[in-house]
Amino acid sequence: MAKKLKQIAIYGKGGIGKSTTTSNISAALAEAGYKVMQFGADPKADSTNTLRGGEYIPSVLDLLAERRRVDAYEAIFEGFGGIYCVEAGGPQPGVGCAGRGIITAVELLKQQRVFEELDLDIVIYDVLGDVVCGGFAVPVREGIAEHVFTVSSSDFMAIYAANNLFRGIERFSNSGGALLGGIIANSINTDFQREIIDDFAARTDTPIVQYVPRSLTVTQAELSGRTTIEAAPQSAQADVYRQLARRIAEHTDSKVPTPLNPTQLREWSARWADHLVAAEQAEAERSRQVA
Amino acid sequence: MAILALKSRPTEISPDADKSGPIELVRYVCAIGAMQSAAAIPRVVPITHCGPGCADKQYMNLAFYNGFQGSGYGGGPVVPSTNASQREVIFGGADRLRELIESTQLVLDADLFVVLTGCIPDLVGDDVGSVVRDFQKKGVPIVYAETGGFRGNNFTGHEAVTRAIIEQYVGPWDGVREQGLVNVWSLLPYQNTFWRGDLEEIKRLLEGIGLKVNVLFGPDSAGLSEWRDIPHAQFNLVLSPWLGLSTATLLEERVHQPFLHIPVVPIGARQSSEFLRQVAEFAGLPSERVEAFIKSEETRYYNYIDGFTDFYSEYWWGLPAKFAVVGDSAYNLALTKFLVTQLGLIPAKQIVTEDPPVEHRDAIRAEFRNIDHDVSVEIDFIEDSYQIHQSIRNADFGHKPPIIFGTTWERDLVKEMKGSLVEVGFPASYEVVLSRSYVGYRGALSLLERIYSTVVSHSA
Repeated sequence: MAKKLKQIAIYGKGGIGKSTTTSNISAALAEAGYKVMQFGADPKADSTNTLRGGEYIPSVLDLLAERRRVDAYEAIFEGFGGIYCVEAGGPQPGVGCAGRGIITAVELLKQQRVFEELDLDIVIYDVLGDVVCGGFAVPVREGIAEHVFTVSSSDFMAIYAANNLFRGIERFSNSGGALLGGIIANSINTDFQREIIDDFAARTDTPIVQYVPRSLTVTQAELSGRTTIEAAPQSAQADVYRQLARRIAEHTDSKVPTPLNPTQLREWSARWADHLVAAEQAEAERSRQVA
Repeated sequence: MAILALKSRPTEISPDADKSGPIELVRYVCAIGAMQSAAAIPRVVPITHCGPGCADKQYMNLAFYNGFQGSGYGGGPVVPSTNASQREVIFGGADRLRELIESTQLVLDADLFVVLTGCIPDLVGDDVGSVVRDFQKKGVPIVYAETGGFRGNNFTGHEAVTRAIIEQYVGPWDGVREQGLVNVWSLLPYQNTFWRGDLEEIKRLLEGIGLKVNVLFGPDSAGLSEWRDIPHAQFNLVLSPWLGLSTATLLEERVHQPFLHIPVVPIGARQSSEFLRQVAEFAGLPSERVEAFIKSEETRYYNYIDGFTDFYSEYWWGLPAKFAVVGDSAYNLALTKFLVTQLGLIPAKQIVTEDPPVEHRDAIRAEFRNIDHDVSVEIDFIEDSYQIHQSIRNADFGHKPPIIFGTTWERDLVKEMKGSLVEVGFPASYEVVLSRSYVGYRGALSLLERIYSTVVSHSA
């Protein structure tokens, strides 16, 4: 009996740190001895760059554009710690259908039974943005990822995107699709940032898997084309990612998310906005009094 | 740092076999044309999830203007469709499909529904699987196949439908094997104008040597009970150059079933007897019964041929010597083999038109290079009729008018060349075909009648 392959998908608003977080999770998992594949589902095809010294690799769709038939192994590249890196790729900005590209790339690997042949423990899909169309929902359909994690900061736009993702997952959960594993709270450095994300998590009954602070170590590592795990293995930040990776590896029970409806979300954010404004005014008042 | 893929690409990438561009006078239909493959199974009804007009076009082309075969129990105009339009493109068509499946169950009586998708849902990424699985969980006999046009033609679609039924309906193997039971994977229903009669003859031959046959498609199939019985068969017989091989491989993986691949569909006594002996050996059948059957078939066959030889040897001034075949690899190979080895005709041009998958092309070429011990044929893979006709025009037919085995598309060409045309493939719009067959012992006799009736009536 083959071992059970664990497939997870990581979603979140663009620019929120999905690829950084995903690559560090992959790196930490590889370091812990797992056989990992990271599958970048983003037309920019840069999800796995920091696993390979910043180098770009040809994407599945680059190869398909050249030739109708592609051996999936031609699109798999080994990166840090033996991590198998694949980029789905996509059309140039403004043309074609990126969603169809994701479907095609995922199908190609499935059809050619790559996951079984490589004897993987974990596949992580790093998916662009939120579930904008059918194509970007493919990783959460039945038979692909079982667990979805969302990367979100305490910014309202990131939380909106997370809530949207919850709605997508809720929809697919009725038909055997992936379930929600939890929130990876990124760039959380202050108490009120933490309060906001905690409150959203509580309102949607979603666990926070890990708080990841914003750190210059990450930026330095990225600029050198590496993950924090590789560039600064002794750093505190690396340990945060290791802990996150361990939780994800041990994670077994995901659930149907309970997203806020649009009115609830609006009211929730308005309340927090009022709260923040009040806090800021109180702070300004205090500064004036001190002066 | 050099970044290397797990497998490197061949440095010399030969250009793709398909030169994209417009095709004049098509010789196959869209992948969703495989709705007629579903309809070819008794009491199976296809449901199409596609734009308006897609399903009708497949039906009219495949089943109407191609031998006027008719739609079958659940095919053609019976087929329910979502008629997806702008709304389904923007908002997704899953809900519309769900509604259609529910309504279909109320008005159509079928043993199995097969949902086939067209370009629209496959492009926008409708999760058709999840819709269909909901019905499967409720016990509705229904499967789905993704057959968007960009995935291939109706040959590809046929394989997708077959795979869907095996994976989603047939179920796992219970470990029981029935000796002497065979599943037959051969000609493409409806695309091949003569598939019904041909499958009947193939079944008759196999039963003649003592096998029990799951013929799976057509009026001679018992329908879904045969499909459910697939895993019990002793083996799969793939009787075609490539179509059906992926199905046999799937079954080999899934239920550990061996398969026998015979690329040449037999026409005439010589080929049919060789075919039966090959199958019998693979199946381990006792030779007495096999040889007795072959003997009785050959006796009958050669009795007719004996009569035919009077005509064939005396009418020498009017009969063509060189021939061309334009058609799918299965019939093209079968006809070429028969015409060369049993009638002594000379092949002038063989053009394979169904766009076979690249990985099978070398094997197809090899079969044609081995037509007889002293006859080797170089074939062309062409889909565009303008190029096909140019190629036929430029072929050397000697000083006699040629005989072309082709389709209705060759009508004008053959007039121009003052030759004869036997319509043997899609589209055959000047043939009405019911149970006529051109394969096996009996089909070969019908074929001879058709060929030489065409030739002798040429000057009438």
